Amino acid sequence: MSPDILDEASVIWFGPQHVSAHGWATKLTLVGDYIVECDPNAGYFHRSAEKCLEFRNFRQGSMILERICMMEAFLAEYPYIAAVEKIVDLEIPERAKIMRTIMLEFNRIHSLQFWWGQFAGELGLFAMLLWPWVDREYTLDAFEELTGSRHTVSYATPGGVKYDFTPKFHAKMEIALSRVKERMPVFDDMLAGSPTFRLRTEGVGHYTAKQALKWGLSGPNIKACGIPMDLRKDDPDPNLAYGMIDWEVPTTHNEEHPGECDAFDRLLQRFKEIETSLDIIDKLLPLLPEGPIIDPKARAKVNRLPEGEGYGRVEGTRGVTSVWLKTMEKAQTPWRAKIRGPCFASYYSLKHIVPGARFADFPAIFGSLDPYPGWWDR
Amino acid sequence: MGFVGNLGDIFRILKHVFRQVFRRPFTYFYPFEDRPYPEATRGRHIHIREKCTACAQCVRACPVAAIRIDKEDKKFEKDCALYFDYTRCIFCGDCVSACRFEALFHTPIVDISEGDREDLVYGPDKITTLDRDPLEWRGRRFR
Repeated sequence: MSPDILDEASVIWFGPQHVSAHGWATKLTLVGDYIVECDPNAGYFHRSAEKCLEFRNFRQGSMILERICMMEAFLAEYPYIAAVEKIVDLEIPERAKIMRTIMLEFNRIHSLQFWWGQFAGELGLFAMLLWPWVDREYTLDAFEELTGSRHTVSYATPGGVKYDFTPKFHAKMEIALSRVKERMPVFDDMLAGSPTFRLRTEGVGHYTAKQALKWGLSGPNIKACGIPMDLRKDDPDPNLAYGMIDWEVPTTHNEEHPGECDAFDRLLQRFKEIETSLDIIDKLLPLLPEGPIIDPKARAKVNRLPEGEGYGRVEGTRGVTSVWLKTMEKAQTPWRAKIRGPCFASYYSLKHIVPGARFADFPAIFGSLDPYPGWWDR
Repeated sequence: MGFVGNLGDIFRILKHVFRQVFRRPFTYFYPFEDRPYPEATRGRHIHIREKCTACAQCVRACPVAAIRIDKEDKKFEKDCALYFDYTRCIFCGDCVSACRFEALFHTPIVDISEGDREDLVYGPDKITTLDRDPLEWRGRRFR
């Protein structure tokens, strides 16, 4: 870049006040309408979650995790539970495994419903901002019926789950899922069928599969490049029920640019993620056996943990979410906890994706990566 | 087409407009009514002192140290006074699940705003009673 161009450059801060910046701040250097430099700045959401975990016992820690990302609260708290279960030997009942998996997928649907509205709203489609959020209310109603809380479900606990499925919950889940199935073609038509939307997203925010692997992207952001990288299939958790059923990892192939993806491909990928989640729930519900929902000895065993290390991970809505715990002998709290959020990689990849794009395309690029600030400021 | 061709559409719109004008709104008149909450709703707590044994399991379970216990304040044989600080409570439900004597429950009352910060610390007189029933829904069913 010649220094003459930079003489005319202006620096603007996208956020933390901008409505579609979600409270984070990205420094953009513009020449005319084109972005020549993008400097993501983490730290505006920092609340020392990792340090907080060191002062909470093993039943309380998950409360911190689910407040990091409210949209996927159960997917966020599950890695902590999985890490605790790796350190201490617990027998998870079959019923609890299936219930956990159903709730994980249900939570993924909720997070993606929120993302649909948010992404469309950032691109100026206001009707499409509100419609998925109306459907999301039905999903939240089902969460509230089961757990008593709409967002922060606090559903899993080491050794099983806290609340049993009730007929009322089944009825509300049925309503929520049928609503998603019914409205999917409508949303597909409103987004993928809209020429305005396609113009704003096609060919925007391009990267190749090789770059995505280099930057550490995961989840839908890498599956949109055609790479079937999914923890649910590659490393199924023995305490979840993904291994009990047959299902396919959804991927998207861009016919014009094989092995690459743009904002539109990432949108299509997230549609496919919802279809997969619906498929998994439909296949798991008939398998739900009768029986206990928690290991009866779990409460006593989790009071004090032996010395060890546990690494729990799950395929979240935004990518691989994991928690590493280190405990000392007879530990009541973790000695050290490390959270690996999926969005740190996707936020800092903006540094390479954005330069060269026009300023109006910036919301389309970061919206399609679905970053959530809690995951990089932990 | 012209005006005559669009008359059918105009009448359809007018019919819809008049129907909506005379219907009850979808929104609810909040201070007087509220939406129905499920039984499991994790709202403000109620402490049943007759059953309490002052074991302090709820205090230990609380991840945000929102509960304070006063074992000197006894009304019955074994009970104690509990102080709930709703400026700190995150309504996680751990205290209720920790209670083995059925002395602590959530209620479906979720609107507990107060004018003064001090009023949000519910002492033994406030936490053992419900000052009002949950508000009722009188509007149209939205979902």
